[in-house]
Order: sequence, then C-alpha cells, then structure tokens
Amino acid sequence: MGVALAFLFSGVLSAQQISGNISDETGPLPGATVIVSGTNTGTVADFDGNYSISANAGDVLVFSFVGFTAQEVSVGNQDTINIVLVPSNELEEVLVTGYGSQQQKEITSAVVSVGSESFNKGAINDASELLQGKVAGLTIYNRGGNPNASSTIRLRGLSTIGANSSPLVVIDGVVGASLDNVDPSDIESFNVLKDASAAAIYGSRGSSGVLLVTTKKGQAGVSELTYSGQFSTSGVANQIDVMSPGEFVAAGGRDLGSQTDWLDSVTRQAFTQIHNVSASGGAGNSTYRVSANLREAEGILDNSGFDQFNARLNFTTTALNDKLKIQLNTSFTQRDQENGWNESLRYATLYNPTAPIYAVDSPYAFNGAQFGGYFETLGLFDSYNPVSIINQNINNGERRTVNYGLNLTYEVTDNITAYFTTANQSNDYANRIYFRTTSLWNNNDNYGGADSPVRKGAAEIYEQNSDFQLNELYATWKKSTENMNLTVTAGYSYQKENFNQVFFSLGDFPGDEIDYIDAIEYSQDLLNAGQVSANSDKNPDTEIDAFFARLNMTINNNIFINASLRREGSTKLGADNRYGTFPSISIGADLAQMLDLSGVQQLKPRISYGVTGNLPQGVGLAQEIRGWSWGGGGSSGGSTNLLRAANPDLKWEEKSELNFGIDLTMDKFSASLDVYQQETKDLILNRVVDAAIYGFDRRFENAGTISSDGFELALNYDVSDNWNTGIVLSSNKATLDEYVQDADTFGNLGSPGQNSTNVTRVKVGEQIGQLWGPVWDGTVTNGSQNFRDLNGDGQLVVGQNNALDDNVDFAVLGNGIPDFEIGWSNQITIGEYTINAFFRGAFGHSLVNTFRAFYEPRVGSQKSYNYINTELANNDIKNANFSSLYVEEADFFKLDNLTISRPVTGNIMLSLNVRNAFVITDYTGSDPEPALFDLLDGNLLAPGIDRRNSWYSSRSFTLGLNVKF
Amino acid sequence: MKTINKIILGIGLLGITYSCTDLEEDLVGDLTSDFSVEGISTGGSGGGGDALTGVFNAVRNAGTANHGGYFSVQSVSSDEMAVTQKGGDWYDGGVWLDMHRHTFTPANGPVTGTWSQQYGSIGQVNNAISNGGLDANQMAQAKVVRAYLHWRLMDLYGNIVIADGSGSSSQSSRSAVFSWIEGELLSALGMGSSFDISKVSGSALGTNDVKYRINQYSALGILAKLYLNAEVYSGSDRYADAATAAGYIIDNGPYTLSDSSVSVPNLGKRPSVASDPSTLTGYAAIFASNNENNPEIIWSVEYDEATAGGMNFHHMTLHYASQYTWNFEAQPWNGYVALEEFVNSYDAGDARKKANFISGPQLDYGGNALVDLASDSPTPEIVYSLGINELEPNGARTGGYRLGKFSFKQFARPDLDNDYPIVRLGDIHLIHAEASARAAGNWALALPEVNAIRARAGVSALSSITADQFLAERGREMFQEASRRTDLIRFGKWGSSWWEKTNSDSYRTVFPIPTEQLTANPNLQQNSGY
Repeated sequence: MGVALAFLFSGVLSAQQISGNISDETGPLPGATVIVSGTNTGTVADFDGNYSISANAGDVLVFSFVGFTAQEVSVGNQDTINIVLVPSNELEEVLVTGYGSQQQKEITSAVVSVGSESFNKGAINDASELLQGKVAGLTIYNRGGNPNASSTIRLRGLSTIGANSSPLVVIDGVVGASLDNVDPSDIESFNVLKDASAAAIYGSRGSSGVLLVTTKKGQAGVSELTYSGQFSTSGVANQIDVMSPGEFVAAGGRDLGSQTDWLDSVTRQAFTQIHNVSASGGAGNSTYRVSANLREAEGILDNSGFDQFNARLNFTTTALNDKLKIQLNTSFTQRDQENGWNESLRYATLYNPTAPIYAVDSPYAFNGAQFGGYFETLGLFDSYNPVSIINQNINNGERRTVNYGLNLTYEVTDNITAYFTTANQSNDYANRIYFRTTSLWNNNDNYGGADSPVRKGAAEIYEQNSDFQLNELYATWKKSTENMNLTVTAGYSYQKENFNQVFFSLGDFPGDEIDYIDAIEYSQDLLNAGQVSANSDKNPDTEIDAFFARLNMTINNNIFINASLRREGSTKLGADNRYGTFPSISIGADLAQMLDLSGVQQLKPRISYGVTGNLPQGVGLAQEIRGWSWGGGGSSGGSTNLLRAANPDLKWEEKSELNFGIDLTMDKFSASLDVYQQETKDLILNRVVDAAIYGFDRRFENAGTISSDGFELALNYDVSDNWNTGIVLSSNKATLDEYVQDADTFGNLGSPGQNSTNVTRVKVGEQIGQLWGPVWDGTVTNGSQNFRDLNGDGQLVVGQNNALDDNVDFAVLGNGIPDFEIGWSNQITIGEYTINAFFRGAFGHSLVNTFRAFYEPRVGSQKSYNYINTELANNDIKNANFSSLYVEEADFFKLDNLTISRPVTGNIMLSLNVRNAFVITDYTGSDPEPALFDLLDGNLLAPGIDRRNSWYSSRSFTLGLNVKF
Repeated sequence: MKTINKIILGIGLLGITYSCTDLEEDLVGDLTSDFSVEGISTGGSGGGGDALTGVFNAVRNAGTANHGGYFSVQSVSSDEMAVTQKGGDWYDGGVWLDMHRHTFTPANGPVTGTWSQQYGSIGQVNNAISNGGLDANQMAQAKVVRAYLHWRLMDLYGNIVIADGSGSSSQSSRSAVFSWIEGELLSALGMGSSFDISKVSGSALGTNDVKYRINQYSALGILAKLYLNAEVYSGSDRYADAATAAGYIIDNGPYTLSDSSVSVPNLGKRPSVASDPSTLTGYAAIFASNNENNPEIIWSVEYDEATAGGMNFHHMTLHYASQYTWNFEAQPWNGYVALEEFVNSYDAGDARKKANFISGPQLDYGGNALVDLASDSPTPEIVYSLGINELEPNGARTGGYRLGKFSFKQFARPDLDNDYPIVRLGDIHLIHAEASARAAGNWALALPEVNAIRARAGVSALSSITADQFLAERGREMFQEASRRTDLIRFGKWGSSWWEKTNSDSYRTVFPIPTEQLTANPNLQQNSGY
C-alpha cells in the first residue's frame, strides 16, 4: 500500500522536473536520497550519482546520505541542482549498543561498527564472511570450500573450553537469533561488542562477545526497487600432492592397469547464482522493506551444494500521535542442501591411481554388478572408490527457519521511554542419508556394505527442531542539564529455548530399483532384533531469567561514564548456584575536546572492566543421568546404568575483562588501539572423579581457569582523494592457569595405526594450542625416523604413553592458534572504476598435516594406496610415526577478495570479483587457514590439526550485477 | 491514554509472570535419580527382568571380551599374543608395543580404561545393592560379582580402593584387598570369617545351574582362583584351601567336562568347503557361538549379537579380507596375532591347536583363495603364517596365527554370540591339580587331572610333570581366556624374555595406577617403580 500511495502522491503534485548530481569531494554518491521536505516524495541517486525529482517552486529539497551532513535547497526556477555533500562528524553517528544506542563519541568500551560499504564482496553465502578480516580481534575462518559448512567465529580468542565459544548474535534487537536466517544482502551493518564491559548487559550469553546485526530498512518517501545478481564459478584452489600413476608403480605400488586422476573425477568447476530483489519505501508514518533472496550454490565436490530461498519483511509504523512506534521484522529461510561426502575427497587423495573407476576396466575378474558398476579394491582396509562414494550415496539436508520480532517503543513522558520486545525463532532441520545396496562404503561399522552377503544398504533419518522465545521489557530515563547528560536503563529479559531430535537407521534393502530412504518399510532389519538403531532426545525448556540496569553519563561533553549490572539465573546450573551477577563499568575522556587540540577531532583514552558469564551447551549437567539397556545378564528384562554423577553445586563460568583503549580521529587518519586482559574461572568440565565416591567416574565440575591477553589495532588513512586504506591487526594469547590435572593431551590422530596418538598438549601455566611430539633429527634408520634426545639424558623417551613424563623427549612443535592476524583493505577509485582489494593473513600458527602423517611414509604393506608426495617427503621413511616432520608452519598472506566495479548506465552497476585470488604460504596441505578446534570432535583444546575430513580450498570468480528500477 | 496505561500494565504483568519461573530443570529425555519402573527403583532393573540384570550386564561391560580393556591388557602383556604394528596400521602411539614389552606407563590408555571400566561396573553393582529389593540369594550373587571385579583390579593394580558403597576413597594395600575379597566371598558362601567348606550348605547361594548367574560353584571357583594366587597377593599361600574349594566343585557340582560326547552344529561351516567340520565337538564346543548349554561352563558372561553386544574377537584378529570367509557384516581390523613360540608348545595332534588358532591359506565362502592387493609377498593370496617377521614397525599383514577359540559363525554381526566362560570345569581341574601339587610340594599329584585334560584334547598322557610343563599345559588349555598374565606371575615367569620382549623388572607385575585417577583421588599412591 505504501508503494501505491507514494506513486499516487508523486503523480498528483508533480509540477516541475528537477535533476542533478549528488557527489562528495571524491566522486558521485550512488544511493544518496532526495526528499521534498514535509512530503512523502523522494528519490534515490543512481550509480552515477544522478537523480531526478519533481517538485513545486518553493518546496525544499533535502539531500542526504549516511555519513554525510544533510543539505537543504529551496526550489526556485532552476531545473538542475548539483550538490556536493560534506561528510558528517562521524563521532556523532549513532551506534546500536545493547538495549539502546549511543553516539560514537560516548562509547567507552571496545565496540566496532562495520557498514555494508566495507563488507567483503563476491558470492558470499554465509553472513559472517562479510566481516572476515574486517574487525581486529574478530576471527572468522571457514576452512575449505564446503558451501554447507558454517564459519567458525571467535572474538578475542578462547575464553571457555566447554561452553559456547561463538559470539552471541543479536539481529534487530532479537537476542540469540541465527545468522543463518539473514541473507547477507539484507544486512545494513554489524556492531561488534568486543570487551566484557560492552557485553556484560547480555550477561551469560555475552562471554564470547556480541555481534549486533542491523538489517536494511525502508525510508519514508523514497521508493526503491533493486535487483542484484551474482554469477560465480569456483574450482579447487589447491590440493595436496600425491604420486602420479607412474611414480606410484615405480615406488612399488600395485599396478591395476589404469590411470585415474581421482581428484579430477570427483570435483568440478562449480556454478553459483544469487538473485536478490528488494523493494522499500514508506508513506505517512510507515516505512517498509521487503526482500527476496534466491541462492543456488554448487560445491566443488560433485553432488554437493544447496538451494536457498529467503524472504524478509521489515515494517515500521507509529500510532498514538507518534508516541508509540511499532516495528515488525520477520524472515523465512528454506534451504535444501546436498551435503555430499567429504570422504570422497579423502579417498580421492589416497586411492590407488592405477585403479580404474569402473568395473569393466578391472584387470581381473570382478563382479561389477554387485558394486553398481564401480571397481573396488576388496579386502583392503580403508580403501574405497571415491567416485562410487559420491555418486551412489545420498546425504541431503533440509532446513527451515522462521522468525518474527515485534518491538514496541512508547514515549511515556518526554524523558521516559518504554521498550517491549517479543520474538520467536524456530528452526527445523532434517537429514536423509542413504547408502545404496551397491555401495561398498558407508560411514558406520554396524551397516552392511555391498560386500555384505546378507545386509546391504542403509538409511538414516534425522530430524531436529528448536524453538527460541524472547520477551524483554525495559525503559530508559533521560536527564540533561547544562553540563551533564544522564541515561538510565532498566529492564527484564526472559529467554526460553527448547530442542528435540529424532534419529534412526536401518538397512538391508532388497535392491537398487529405488532409493530406499523413501521406502524404509522394505528394510529387512525390521525383522531382526537389534539391527534397527534409534534414538530421540527432548531437552527440557531451558530458561534464562534476567534483570538488568545501565547508567550512561556524559559530563561536559568530554567525559563519558557507562556502568551496567545484570543478575541472571539459568535452569542449566546446579540447584544451589542458579543465579549469577555480572557488573561492568567503563570511563573515557576526550582529550581533544578538553585540550582543544587542533586538527584532532577525537583523542579518547578509555578504560573498562566487566564480568560476563558463560553457560554450558548441554542440559542436565548438574543432574544424575542414567541409561537403560534391555537384555543381557541372563534376563530378557532391562537394567539401568549410571552415565553421569550429579553436581548440585555446578555454577556459572565467569569471565572478567579489563580493557584499555584509545581512539584517535584526525582529518585523514584514524586509529584505534585496544589492549585487554581477560580471565575465565570456574570452567565447566566433564572431569574424571573418584568412582568409589560418586559411583561413576565422571561428572561436570567447575574446575579450571583460562586467561588471555591481547591487543587490537585498527588504522585508516586517506592516502589520496581516490585511495583509502585500512589495516586491522590483532594478537591474542590464551593461557591455561588451572586445570583438573597438571597437563593433558588431546587430538588423537586415529586409525589406521595412530590411535592413542594425541598431538596436542595443554599444560597449566602455558599457552593453549601446543602441538606436542617427538622431534625428528633428519636421519632414518631401517625405515624409521630417528628422534632427538632433547633433554640430553642419554635416554630416548618418545612413546606416546610417556607424553607427559618429566623425562620425555617431546617438544612443542608449534601452536595451532595464530600469534597475529591482519586484514588490509584498500579502496581505489580510478575514473568510473572502483577497486576493492582486501588482503588477509595469519601468522605464527602451525598445522599437523594429517594426510602426510598417515600416507607419506613409504609403508611397504600399503602399496595399494597412493602416497602423499609433497616436497617434504622422505623416501626412506617406511612406517608412520607422528613427529615434528608432520607439523608445518602455516603462516599465510592472501589476496582474499578483489573486486572491480563500474556503473554501465546510471541504473546498472557491474562488478567482477575474485575470492582467494592467491595465497603465499609454505604449508603443503590444501588450506593454511588455522583450525581453531579439533575438526573431528570440536575439542577447543586441540587446535592446529588439519584433519582428513577437510575440504579442499576453492577459488571463485563472480560477475555481479546491480540494477535500480 | 487509558488504553495506553492498560498496555503498559499488561506488558508489566507479562514480565512479572515470566519472572516467577522457578528455573527448575525437569529433564524429560533422560532417566534421573528419581526414576523407577514398576516399583523397581534407580539402579535396579525392570520391564520383566530382575534386579540382577544390571549386575551381570556390568561384567559384560567391563572389557571382558573386546578390544582395549581388561581382555587386552591381561592378554597382550603375556606371551600368548601380540598386536603387531603393520606398517601404517596398529602403531597407535605404541600402546600395544608397550603392553607387549612391559614398558607401559601410568598414561597408557588401555591401563587407564581398564581401571575405570571395572570401577564403573562396580558402581552398577553397588547401585543394585544399595537400592534394596534384593533377596538374600540375589544379594549374595551381587556381592560375589562385586568381589570378582575387585579381584580383577587387585590382580592388575595391587593397592586399590575398596568400593563397597561406603563412599570411602582411601587406598587399601593389596593384602587388605585380598582379605576383603575373601571375606565377601566367604560371607556369600555362608562361611563367616574363615574358610570352612563344611558350612557351604548354609550359603544363600543356590546349587542348581542357572545360566549366567552365580551359584555356590561359581563363587567357589572364584575363591579357588583367589586362593591359588594368594601368595602373590598377600605373601602367604592358600594352596590347600584352593584345592579344597576346587575339589568341592568337582565332586559336588552338576558339571562335566565337554568331551567327545558333547557336540554342537558348526555354525561357521562353509557348505562348499569340505574340510569345514559340520559339528564342533569336545573342547571346541565350549567356546562355540552356540555354547550356551555346554555342560562344562559353571559361570559365563552372556554375549548376544542383538541383545548383549560387546564381543568382537573376529574384528580384533582377522585380516580384512577374512570377512569373505565368514560373510561378516563388517570388515575385520587385522590386529591380534598368536605368538609363534606359544603355538609351538602344542603337539601337532592337539585338538586345542586346531580350535584355538586360525592358520594357513584362507579361502572365501565359496572355497576360493582370499587375496590381499597390498600383500607384502609377491603373491597376494592370504596365508596366516606361524612366524611373524617383526613386532614393529612392519609386521607382516598375514603374519601370525589368529585367535579362533571363540569360533565365528557365518554371517556374524559386529557383535558375536559366544558366551565367555569365567569359571569352567576344565580350569577348575587345573586349579585343583596345581593347588594340590603345590600344597604337597609334589607336582606328580597334578598328573591325573592334567592327563584327563590332555586326553580330551587327543594328546598322549604325560608320565611325569614339572612346574614348567604344568604351566605350558595350563597355557594350552586356557589360551584367550584372560588367564595367562596371572599364571605367568604365579610361576615367576612374567619378567622373562620372549619374542620381541626382554626381561622386565619385578615391579611390572602390577600395572601403574592411571594418572587421571591419581589426580581425581589424592589418597591414591602410585605403585612403586612407576
């Protein structure tokens, strides 16, 4: 209706056509708006900065754009009005903070805002990737090119072991919303609350930082219909080196007569297309924006990718003489994904390069029909035809997310405003897996493969859904005097979450006529006791109850004080320790104002301190939990068994953080430095306890402390009128101060042959992320590596069993967490062309190259697998033993994102983008990006292992098209 | 404005309503401490079973017949078997090499896991005991099982914590644990505080054979094993009592040796392979997949492919391709192998050699040769060889005979069906023979029973016997029954050298107490030497 009204009005009042160009000192400002003051008539400048609007003489035109001071021009007889806008004082820009907003200059904690103009570009499907490398201290990694993998997000390093390590996401005020349900093209800006004092108002969920997301809204009087499309192609950027068929046979490998490039056989040049359409505008006291986003993404692995549809509506109106503002946000996402099988990539790396793909090319008699026409090397351990894996088996997911949020804002009096938010998000995910009766490979020892005489084929059905409900009520009271501004906020928050899931698997299907995932009633397992596996879980409603209050005070417009307090309780904790209290205080002073420094707009040192909590992810951790099993023990009945001992004292993890920062703003240069120290105590860990006392040897306890310190530096400089450059640098070191034991190892390499081989160590008092093992001395005896006697005691102690002994000859072989991360943005304007070049790097981290650790030794009895053959390979090593040889420094610096764009006409903008253009690194694996946790089991204490389940990294080229109608 | 006030009031009420939440966590998908089924409370059993179901399941779940726990620690550390490193496979951080060479440390994974598994199972038993509902007979059975699990721990680790449900975590000396176990068994047998076989009639335990459950003979069998090793545990021997206990079982129990009169269908037979027998007879029948009615078994742990999983000897020992001999549902792991010297101690005609080992050329279900495309030898056919080239790093993939005692049935699932005997008459005879001989200081006293066992195996009688010969006979009989380590220690041979193992120090007769347990319980003192 708003659209219709806008068109109607603009038609009736049309009297005179005015056009012109809106620019700043460097060039045109596409997207700047022109509104006839006091009306709902308006328009937007096109990609060349040109606009056209009809107005009557005497009308006042208001020209405005985000980040610039608005200008008003009265309409006389002229038909051309060209405007040069002047940048506004960015210190007065309003930033969204927790439960409110503040001007930039008033902020006294570590808060960074990133607007859409600074986002990463190209075919980005995961909203967090828009920010990758843009905010100092915000680490975002997405290893490999799997389109269905979500990014790992970590703010200021590791501050928990067992609780949530990802920042809290707040979308348009909805706490705990999912980034999966916001299309990247709908995001207006991110505000990142980095330190505990900024996040403390979010209490328990703010411990790992907070990402505030603001979506795009409509603007009254300005009707816009836009389309953007992106067309992208991507391929394998880098693969790990293996032997060619000739090299393999020469190395003693068994020649099966063919020559197959397995990687090439399971990967492809993948095509992705993205279409976004949005319409926005407003009339009277209402504004709206609706958008629809369609994504069809292919993965570089055959039969992988997703189709996604997302729609979003933002609607705002006012009532009761504009005293009540009503805001409604809703969005919907439907995603169908082919997850594919990463095992296909794994076996493509190590399958015999002389093996044929198809059974007809077998060098010996082979019953191809049994294996779907594919060749298989039967009787070998862990050896499967990768083409068969990816072509025969199904792994499909379907996700549906719906959320709505209603915000009411009511001005009770001139200085009291009340806010109410209610929001709900529900998420459903279903996964369907089917292993065909002709597939030799499947992912579970308990399923029969194609070589099973009696039990072929297996199906897995998984469904989960979760619901999140938020109700918040708060109010602010403002008071201003001549030299003081005061805002007090107080409120209540209630959060409720529940989750349930169902899984079952069964197999033994009759044949291959259909995919039996859709006909599970034909499973013969239904007739055989114990063959069907099933489980279901329902979490109880986990509830959070919180009261919070905050004080913002500005004195003399140059001293800023903020303080907050939150008291919060959660169902997840022990009956005796459900509630926690989280305070914060911060203070800053603008020396530029106080000392009247010339040429300096802001010089603000600030200091802050805050406490946040963190909750464990599971439920029932404080309670005694039992399992049930039927049969056994000479009875057809059942029995219970203890799975966990109770701990009624289980309490909050508590993080305290001290942050010191300084912000400098000058005409062409700005800088921001933060130095911080944080400590998390009472870490919630599932620890070994004395079974004689508790009846079971594990329960959850608060045991352990992590501390970390780091710094972040952000610099921005206008080198010239057409070149802006910005650098963000960050460093964080986390130390384990207290733990259940003095030292421990994690990160088991695994089968074949390297079980009980933990490659990471934690030690009390030392940095987290150590890679730990024996040091190869460069020589080989009888096919085995010789190790260094590191402590020189004449005794070589290098058994994994001795890993924690005092006399062990192990060393820290590297650290899985980078010392130092950098992001370097550049925007260069040349004529009509805009070039964005973004470089990103991480330094100081190492990776265990597991492909090498398993398959690079020239193991004699392994001659039917291919050998990894990097430049580090040593042909004399004939058995696999983890050592320093397999730990590689993985420092990298890459041109992560390069975009060139130019307007073709005023209404059409074209851009060309390359992601992952080139990488400078010595790492021999596929992707040098850090692995911040164990990619197999998520263990946060075992970073730095490049597992065999990783995807290969990809490189993509994208053609982008933006059209304004 | 009235409306507005109402709205504000409404919102306020909403907030207050929510804030009245008590934050009680009511788990709906988990069984918690206040759970009960038809009157049988937490820790017990229900749904048609009795209160002891969980107790006996606890023994099955204590690593009795699977990889990585009690069975592995007890067997791989002995001269029966090894887990060789096969190039890129089975190095596993050296834990199995350390186990073989007696260089294990307090951090050794299997040593650690075995400790927690036994205590976990003891916890289950304590639950059943403390939650009530047990009659006198059931209580006696539960206490025997708890004593047996403590015996495993005391035998492995020496000084341990007695977990009798009192919540005490103080460490007891090995001899104190020995006395406690003895007391628990004596009490269940109705004997009060000292061993007196004449009082066994007053025991709360029964005398009938009830499958998988404890009767007087099962308890006496465990007691006999305890007494046989008493010198090792407490410093003073109890051979006479061991002989008395074993003798009582032989004389009074309803059990007979599984001899040529006992046979069951061979469920592993391949129809097209003529050399596969159609039945398993005598010794082989005791361990077959269908061994549940064997007359020699006094107490066994129930294993079942569907309802009582956990036994996976086929996966542990066989070559990957042997899957096609038995049509297994899943591929084996090619790990455990028998040692050449041990196999060589059998006479060629010993029925136990055929029953205990899988050897020579391997054929698939149809009778065709199995092949290994990654074979070490020029020909890819799979032949399990007697000799093994080396323990590490490149042990041959087909080196060593394989563990075949608990024979495999065709189409076996990942979990096997064979029951695992803990007390059986053949063992009781050997305990009786050894204890009698040691008590009298005359090994000749062992001859009649040794020869009876030999006769069943189809080998000729011995005319005389030494301690070493007795140990060898016991080894041949008890292979793969988790007895060898304890026997070697009792005969003073544990520290000797054997294939790929040099002499080990005497402190190695007990395993180190796991590091993580020392951390969890400050009362624990590490065993000396570690």
